[in-house]
Amino acid sequence: MRCRGQRHPVGSAGEPHASERAPAESMAENREPRGAIEAELDPVEYTLRKRLPHRLPRRPNDIYVNMKTDFKAQLARCQKLLDGGSRGHNACAEIYIHGLGLAINRAINIALQLQAGSFGSLQVAANTSTVELVDELEPETDSREPLTRIRNNSAIHIRVFRVTPK
Amino acid sequence: MRPQLAHSADAVEAFGSTETSESLAEMSNAKERKHAKKMRNQPTNVTLASGFRAERGGKHHFGAGRPFQSQKQELHSGTSQQWQNKMSPHLLPESDGNEQSSSKIMFKKKGGWKAGPEGTSQEIPKYITASTFAQARAAEISAMLKAVAQKSSNSLVFQTLPRHMRRRAMSHNVKRLPRRLQELAKKEAEKAAHQKKELSKNKCHKARRCHINRTLEFNRRQKKNIWLETHIWHAKRFHMVKRWGYCLGERPTSKSHRACYRAMTNLCLLQDLSYYCCLELMGKEEEILKALSQMCSTDTGLTFAAVHCLSGKRQGSLVLYRANKYPREALGPVTFIWKPKKTPGDTSEDRQLWIWLHPTLKLAVLEEMKTVCQCSEPASSSVSVPDPLPTPDQEESQPELADDNIGKKRKRKDDAEGAKRTKRTLGDGTRDPCQPRSWVSLPTGIVISDLTMEMNRFRLIGPLSHCILTSALRAAPLHTGEEDAEETPHPWWSDTCKGSDGVVLHQRQEAVFQLLGGVSSPAEIPAGTILGLTVRDPRTNLPPQRSRALPHPEIHQASEFSCEEGMCTGSWSCALWKPLSDHTDDPDNEQVRQLLLEGVPVECAHSFIWSRDICRSVTESKISDQDLNRMRSELLVPGSQLVLGPHESKIPVLLIQQPGKVTGEDRLGWGSGWDVLLPKGWGMAFWIPFIYRGARVGGLKETMVHSQYRRSPNIPGDFPDCLAGVLFAEDQAKDLLESYKRRPPAKRPNYVKLGTLAPFCCPWEQLTQDWESRVQAQEASPITSVPGAQDNARQLAVPCVPEETCQSNEADMSENHPTEPEVTGCQAQAGAEMVLEHSASENHAAAASHQLCVLRSRKLLKQLSAWCGPSSEAGRAPCSGQPELTRKAYLSILDDFPRALVWVSLSLLRKGSPEPRAMICVPSKEDLLQLSQDPCYHGPRESRHSDPFKSLILKEKEKKKMEKRQSREHAASTGLAAGVPTAEQEARIRGLWSGPLPGLTSHCSRVLLGFVTQGDFSMAVGCGEALGFVSVAGLLEMLSSQPAATRGLVLLRPPGSLQYRFARIAIEV
Repeated sequence: MRCRGQRHPVGSAGEPHASERAPAESMAENREPRGAIEAELDPVEYTLRKRLPHRLPRRPNDIYVNMKTDFKAQLARCQKLLDGGSRGHNACAEIYIHGLGLAINRAINIALQLQAGSFGSLQVAANTSTVELVDELEPETDSREPLTRIRNNSAIHIRVFRVTPK
Repeated sequence: MRPQLAHSADAVEAFGSTETSESLAEMSNAKERKHAKKMRNQPTNVTLASGFRAERGGKHHFGAGRPFQSQKQELHSGTSQQWQNKMSPHLLPESDGNEQSSSKIMFKKKGGWKAGPEGTSQEIPKYITASTFAQARAAEISAMLKAVAQKSSNSLVFQTLPRHMRRRAMSHNVKRLPRRLQELAKKEAEKAAHQKKELSKNKCHKARRCHINRTLEFNRRQKKNIWLETHIWHAKRFHMVKRWGYCLGERPTSKSHRACYRAMTNLCLLQDLSYYCCLELMGKEEEILKALSQMCSTDTGLTFAAVHCLSGKRQGSLVLYRANKYPREALGPVTFIWKPKKTPGDTSEDRQLWIWLHPTLKLAVLEEMKTVCQCSEPASSSVSVPDPLPTPDQEESQPELADDNIGKKRKRKDDAEGAKRTKRTLGDGTRDPCQPRSWVSLPTGIVISDLTMEMNRFRLIGPLSHCILTSALRAAPLHTGEEDAEETPHPWWSDTCKGSDGVVLHQRQEAVFQLLGGVSSPAEIPAGTILGLTVRDPRTNLPPQRSRALPHPEIHQASEFSCEEGMCTGSWSCALWKPLSDHTDDPDNEQVRQLLLEGVPVECAHSFIWSRDICRSVTESKISDQDLNRMRSELLVPGSQLVLGPHESKIPVLLIQQPGKVTGEDRLGWGSGWDVLLPKGWGMAFWIPFIYRGARVGGLKETMVHSQYRRSPNIPGDFPDCLAGVLFAEDQAKDLLESYKRRPPAKRPNYVKLGTLAPFCCPWEQLTQDWESRVQAQEASPITSVPGAQDNARQLAVPCVPEETCQSNEADMSENHPTEPEVTGCQAQAGAEMVLEHSASENHAAAASHQLCVLRSRKLLKQLSAWCGPSSEAGRAPCSGQPELTRKAYLSILDDFPRALVWVSLSLLRKGSPEPRAMICVPSKEDLLQLSQDPCYHGPRESRHSDPFKSLILKEKEKKKMEKRQSREHAASTGLAAGVPTAEQEARIRGLWSGPLPGLTSHCSRVLLGFVTQGDFSMAVGCGEALGFVSVAGLLEMLSSQPAATRGLVLLRPPGSLQYRFARIAIEV
């Protein structure tokens, strides 16, 4: 599958949001060498402000993984979605785990943990994509225009779904 | 068994009677005694002993097989027989034997049905005398009915209804009650009507509610404090406060703290900021910039001359200072927007600048601006020929016109009212109404005018604000050619539509506005983006019911999902899963992307709201709510859309993006939203549609919460270097002192014992002074650079307070304190109030040389911010490119800013939730050591101080008593004697430090660094968070003495507690 590239602005923004409680996305993204940007730009003239990734409406079975929430809590959240309520109703047949940047690792980890703990009833299918992130460069002096730059970051989207065990 | 049963039944009967004292004595059964007590107040002829009877029956039943139970029964029955003999004549005095037997039988029947199944024989009565039987029952029934009909509680009928059945105005209108209760309620209402006092007879209710009278009444009520246009809406739902010359909603009456937070985070919170003041500057660009450049500094960031702001594309914000006085004498923070340069039909060189500011800051800023621009004389009509400025004449007429259209409140009949009304509608509580509203400068040609209350400003906060805006506002339809022939009430709009430029521009604006609906959060748009728009009357497409506007993925994403196979419809995140080729030809995406990157193009920032003529005509030509509703009711199909055609109003609006949290690392973009500027008179017409789309409304408290979670200073409370901030602090201190004094001394904290010198205000002046002298003393001492010696240096470094040392133990404390007040306390009889005023007056007076200032230089803030970080130098230093924290570096800062404060944010490490005016202190080495060793360590405790004033106050009281006695003995001049002690009584308040404050920094066991101004448990982070100021000198000294690993740790202590808590300090730039 092709990645969503620069030409696809709206749909491309599958930024892993944190859970609603702690929407702190910034830490998960952008592990590109930060020095690269700052080498080009004089920090005296510009301040780098990272903007939030484009946010998308989410279904109940979308889980955006972040690096701030406890790993166990995120795993439990996924497990709960798959298991459903007390008597198994509202259980999702499939969930989507999204991870961006640094959180890719963790997303994979969560998906594999889920699979390992399911005794073969869960399968995973992963997709990758590229997310465009916007960096704003705020001028420090009056004579300069604010700039925006686009930076790409990888994201992973793992579909975890139930299969009937043989 | 049979007689036993019969006896027991009799016993029951006997029990029901009122005389049971004897039986009680015999039975000695607690339960039965209790029951008897319960039955004592029953009417004599009703013997409802069902519960007890059942119990007894049960006993018979279950206890049949057990010997000890049966014994008991025998005993019981034996006794009961006795009672029966005694009681039965008493119970039914007039009945003969037959009756007795019949009633007995009845009870036996009832009581015996439990025994029945067991197989014990049950005696069926041979005969019953119907008349007596019925008589007895009838008496019982009537008593029962009487008991039921009697209302035991003291409440009214409608108050007894369950909550879901209650209706508004139930107490007035009987018919709102359920029908079965209406009779009762009517009776009650009649009763109440007699008790009610007579209403004034001059006006009946209807007359008072009459439109004109209400208007007059409303006008009278807003004479002193101006009402916003949404006032009546707010007054029904909010706790209103009179503040800054306005009546403002403080907080909703409903319980909604968390709901408002959620609205800000996930939904949309609406606020009416129309009380913000707008100053307009008009003139040549260079002239304006030249004049204003004196009032701001490039050190603090961008100024009025920033390129993107100057073009009119973005909103700018900065802090103003008195001319050429930076960094001291701040005036306050403002936001500003320039009118875009090239607008259709505008060829003049004049630029227009709007400066928006808080009403408390307006007086000072306006004065300063007038001096800077040399605008001394009020504008006369001759000056304002090119652009019609409000001359005094126009001023008179303008509000009148506006009033008639604002209509509902301000219609007036007699001319005598005119003058008052003019004053009101000009709508500014912070300024003398007789003063002119615009000033012109002859040398520079700059015209300053005050546009306060000329516009409405609504703020939408939260991610759903886009949806609400796009669904509530619709771009105005263009006028076509043939409509121009007929008379339209909106000539400006038809003029615009004639020119192709105007049409194109309008269409572009509309297109951009529609794109906003596809952007899920305002934080994704460049900060301060401005979008102008001309919209239809939002009342015409009001939804029939309040609902929540939600993003429509299918609208904005329909093209993407059309070819999606199967499972993933409905969520954008699934767009990831399909081939790229589907999206490339979608023009919308490209445009949204452009919008996100570049913001709104400059041309689209233009709005007709800049032109005062058009605004006025829009305000005048507003169709009143009444007319609109009438037209709606005359529609052929009820509920269908009202089509007004060319008569529909077109309203110019300006949308300004408000950046949320931009500084710091986490929660970026939190609390971002849009401000909507509207011409006056249209407030309610936009307010209700916003609410009908699901916006929640917040008041001043929500503004505070918003600024706290954004970690930005709140206006005016968090600007201690502004006059407005000082006054605000004084007011607050006065209020707090009042509420403190209302409590008895034993029921309020003794702040002297708690070691809190200033519990109601933050004495910034004294704090910075103390730290300055500390640092000076330290410099004087030879041992400086060795970090270990700094504690010694600190001890030496208190020349102004020689007695006290920072590490003094309790003994020292108790020794020191009694001595001091005796020196000072005698002269300072003014007490704590004086202290508050003292510090404030110092602020006013000490303007000249060393004045407190707040550090706002971006370069220095960045440096400090880097130093505050806890991480090791290896990671931090090369990244930020900041110099190392050396003694030399920090002394150089202190040379420039000897008495500076810096805005910091603190997040608590472990436990605790901070309060406003909590003290920020420097942790000692032992504290840090213990923190690293003990994972459960929450912080040290301050030892209790002694209260030297208590005995003094007692002594004074004694003295006063003595004097009183003496004066009474003298008895000559009683009036004089009575007057003196009351004055002295004000002098000391128990539990507060009286007299001038001793050395602030070293009063407690930990050295004081600063104070918290906003602090609470933060729902956004999930732990306590505080914002406040610390002394720069103190901060630097603390940082340089702390090891790199624990750098930036401080202690927080609320004014009413002895417990310190650890917090991490951060400076966000």
